[in-house]
Amino acid sequence: MNENVIDRSRDITILEVLDRVLNKGVILTGDIVISVADVDLIYLGVKLMLSSVETMEKLKAGKH
Amino acid sequence: MINELIYVYCISVDPQELINELRSRGLKSICIDGFNVIIKNVQEKEFSEENLKQNIADLHWLEANAREHINVIGMIMGYTSVIPFKFGTIFNSRESLEKFIIAYSASLLRNFDFIRGKEEWSVKIYCNRKTLSKHIDELSEPAAALEKQIMASSPGKAFLLQRKKADLIQDEMDRICKECGQSYFNELSIQSEANSLNNLLPKEVTGREDTMILNAAFLVTKDKVTEFKGSVTKSASREVDSSFNVELTGPWPPFSFISINEKTQ
Repeated sequence: MNENVIDRSRDITILEVLDRVLNKGVILTGDIVISVADVDLIYLGVKLMLSSVETMEKLKAGKH
Repeated sequence: MINELIYVYCISVDPQELINELRSRGLKSICIDGFNVIIKNVQEKEFSEENLKQNIADLHWLEANAREHINVIGMIMGYTSVIPFKFGTIFNSRESLEKFIIAYSASLLRNFDFIRGKEEWSVKIYCNRKTLSKHIDELSEPAAALEKQIMASSPGKAFLLQRKKADLIQDEMDRICKECGQSYFNELSIQSEANSLNNLLPKEVTGREDTMILNAAFLVTKDKVTEFKGSVTKSASREVDSSFNVELTGPWPPFSFISINEKTQ
């Protein structure tokens, strides 16, 4: 089995974890899903933590 | 009757050799339309929409469950490619899960083709503005020029110029941060198959003194990972970077590079 940094390390901060699992991955919409359809609502508790983030507009512009 | 919901962690394509490991964690791998879907049956009292909302507000609950989410996906990723799902993806029934997988199978396959043999690496860069401001005369020509002018001025004029310089320093630090972030981003983009700029997280979230200036993810071909990591380290030792802190983490499940948006048909 490959070594897996994430699996064995507790050093990964919860920030790193939440930054990934709440913002990314397969995000579903539509009537087949009860919860993720309203992700913004579901994550009210952490919305304060993860919202109000400013984006690097200039960098994004320079990306393409 | 207690109604059970289906919590989805991820999807993989290859045959699983993890049956015992999965079982010991209370997980199941179910085969739908050729995909292995890693799931757990969960209770409404914990994961119904209403209860999930409440639980997520509890940071201890959130941390434990978010870590479990990523650990399960990480374990599967040790064996085979995975398409990770967002935390808290829940289906009402096996039928609704099947309906989803079948409807999006072509898109899922395209995603697998894209991520196979690659790893997601996260690069976050922070700037210590205090340290940076101390070196500003070495790093900024306008700041150095103004400093020279201040030294040659009368006390009254020097005072006014100092105030002007304070503003200039902030602008120059913004510029230097932007250039530093851009330079890392460009360099690492060349060495990766894809990149994703993620939101900058404010200090209240990071809990750090220094300021996040880059939050990026890179999808790197497995055999280029060593080289990629070398570049991060090499870049981090540049002279100007004494004020910058570069954090590399991974390999992550390819959260930032999954795009499921079209139905088959």
